[in-house]
Amino acid sequence: MEEPKATASAIINFAEKLEDDSSNFYERLAEKFAEMNRVFLSFAEESKKNKVLVTRTYRETITDALEACFSFEGLNLSNYVVKTILTDDTSYSDALRMAIEFEDKASKFYLDVAELSKSLLATIPTAFRKVADRRNSRKQALKSLLDKAIAQR
Amino acid sequence: MTILEEPIKEALTLKNYIGEEWVESEGEIVDVVNPATCKVIAKVPISTKDEINAAVEAANKAFPDWRRTPPLARARCLFRLKELMEERFEELSRIQTMEHGKTIDESRGETRRGIENVEVGAGIPSLMMGYNLEDIAAGIDEYVIRQPLGVFGIIGPFNFPFMVPLWFAPYAVATGNCIIIKPSSEDPISQAKIAEMVEEAGFPPGVWNVVNGGRTVVSGMLDHPNIEGICFVGSTPVAKDVIYRKCGETGKRVIAQAGAKNFLLVMPDSNLESTIAACMTSFYGNTGQRCLSGANLVVVGEGLNEHAYNAFYRKVVEAFVDAACKIRVGYGLDESVQMGPIRDMSKKERVNGFIEKGIEEGAKLRLDGRNVKLVSDLPHTCFLNPTVFEDVTPDMTIGKEEIFGPVASIMKAKSLDEAIEIIHSNPFGNAASIFTSNGKLAREFQYRVQCGNIGINIGIVAPMAFFPFSGMKDSFFGTLHGQGIEAIRFFTESKVVIQRWF
Repeated sequence: MEEPKATASAIINFAEKLEDDSSNFYERLAEKFAEMNRVFLSFAEESKKNKVLVTRTYRETITDALEACFSFEGLNLSNYVVKTILTDDTSYSDALRMAIEFEDKASKFYLDVAELSKSLLATIPTAFRKVADRRNSRKQALKSLLDKAIAQR
Repeated sequence: MTILEEPIKEALTLKNYIGEEWVESEGEIVDVVNPATCKVIAKVPISTKDEINAAVEAANKAFPDWRRTPPLARARCLFRLKELMEERFEELSRIQTMEHGKTIDESRGETRRGIENVEVGAGIPSLMMGYNLEDIAAGIDEYVIRQPLGVFGIIGPFNFPFMVPLWFAPYAVATGNCIIIKPSSEDPISQAKIAEMVEEAGFPPGVWNVVNGGRTVVSGMLDHPNIEGICFVGSTPVAKDVIYRKCGETGKRVIAQAGAKNFLLVMPDSNLESTIAACMTSFYGNTGQRCLSGANLVVVGEGLNEHAYNAFYRKVVEAFVDAACKIRVGYGLDESVQMGPIRDMSKKERVNGFIEKGIEEGAKLRLDGRNVKLVSDLPHTCFLNPTVFEDVTPDMTIGKEEIFGPVASIMKAKSLDEAIEIIHSNPFGNAASIFTSNGKLAREFQYRVQCGNIGINIGIVAPMAFFPFSGMKDSFFGTLHGQGIEAIRFFTESKVVIQRWF
C-alpha cells in the first residue's frame, strides 16, 4: 500500500485547522499583550474569514476536482506544522517570532497548494493565493513590530 | 489522515413526511446499514398503500393554492432551501457517506450537484415564461403559457440518495406542482434530511412529501389517478417493463432513466496520463455504482500498424492496472480513502458473479478486487478492490451487461469505425467518451455515437443542472429529460391562447 494521498478533503481540513489555530493563537496573544490587542484581534478575525473563503471555494468547486481525479500529490503536510506554545514566561518578542514562523509556514502552504491546484478551476488557486498574500502581509507587519520591540529595548 | 466524525450517533427512526406532518408508518420496519461498518444507522418503514394514498391526497389538496402562488414566491422557498443546504452542507455530505458508502469528497460533490439543481429551479420566473407573437392575423395575437399539471411521483435510486430526486423536485415545485418522493429504502436518510429543510424553508403543507417504502409505494403511485407523472431512476427492467409501460397505460408523463454500459475509447493520440487519471474516476468513482461510470475501455488502433497497435494496447493496459491497484479502499469518512464499499452484500455478490463469469468466458483477469485490502480494520462484508480484465470481447457477459461495481473491461478495436460498431451492438445508450487530441475524430464520434451523453476527453459525462440528463436506447424511456429547461417542459402543459378584441 502506498503512502496516504493528500486528498482535496485532507488539504482543506488542514487549511481549516490552520485558520482555527491561527485565530485561537492571536486571540491568546491579544489577551496576553493587551496593548497590541487591536492588531492581534484583527488577525484572528482575518483567519476566520480565510477559513470561510477556503471552505466555500472548495465546496463550490469540489466536482471539478473529482472529475480530474485530483490530489495534492507530493505535498507533505508535516512541513507546514508549527507549534505555538504560549506560556506565562513567553516574552513579547518571542511571541512575535513564533507568529512570524507561523505566518511563514502558512503562507508557504497556501502558495504550494495554489501551485499544485492551478490545473483546476481558477477560483481554487486564486483563493489559496489570496490567503497566502494575506498571511504574507501579516508576516511583514509582525516583522515590523518585532523590529520596533528590539529597537525599544 | 483524519477520520471525520459521524453525524449519526445512534440509529434514527425515519417517518413519512406528509402534508407537513411527520407521520409514523404502519408498515414493516427495516434496517438501514452503513456498508463500511455494517452498523445499523436508521430504521425505515416500508409504507402501505393507504399511506401513499394519504400523501397523494395531501399533495392534491395543496395544488390549487400552490399553483396560484406567484413564481417569485415559489422561488423564494427554493432560495431558503438552498441556504439551509449550504448551512448543513457537511452534515448532509457525511450522511451520504454513512448511508451509501461513497467517499466524503464524492458525497460533497453529490451535495453540490444537488444544490445546483435547487439554484437553477429558483430561476423559475424566467424559465417558466411562455412566448407570444402579435398579428398572426389581422388584429389577432397568439401566445403560449406554461401551466403546472398537479401531483408528480419521484422514485429515487440507491446510488445517489441526495442528488437524484433533486434532478426533478426543484423544477416540479417551482413550476407549481406538488410532489411525493420515494427514496430508496436502502439509503433514505438524505431525503428525510431534505424534508426537514423543506419544512424549515416554509413550503406550504402538502407541496413536498416523502413516503418511504418499496414496491407498494411505487405501485400506489403508478395506479393512482391523481398522479400526473412519474420520474424514475433505476434499473432497465423496472424502467422499461414496469414504469414506462404502466405510465403508458395510465396516460402519465414519464421520465425513466435506466441502466448503462458506458464505453470509453482511448485513441493513440490521446494524452495518456490525463486519460488514465480520468478513467480512474470514471471506472471506480462511487465504487462503479453510477449510471455514468466507465464500464468498457476500448483501446483503439486507428492509423497504427499491428506492431505499433500492440505496443499501444500494452502501454494503456499497464498504465490502467498500475493506477487501479494504487486506489486506497476503505471507509469514506477516512479522508485518505479514494473508494468506498459497495452499497450492500448482495450487490457485492452480484459483482463477484460477474468476475467469475469473466474468468469462465476467457477474459484475462489482471487485477482481482476480490483480494480485499483496506486502509483500516473494517469488516470486508461489502468491500471489493478495483478489478481489471483485459482481452474482453463485446459478446462476453462482462463486456455487455451492466455490472454496477468497480470492474473495468479492457477491449480492443482496430479503428474508430470498429469501436463505434461495438458501442452500437450494445443495447444501452447512456454515455460514451473518446480520449483524443484529434478534433476530426472527436467530431465524428460525437456525430455518430447513439448515446445520450457524449464525452470528449471527459471521464464522467455528468450534465450540469442547466442541461438535460440525456440517455438513449435501453438507458432512457420517455421523451423529455430531467434537469434544466427540459424538466420545466416536463412539469408544465403548454397552453396556446389566440386572442382578438372586437
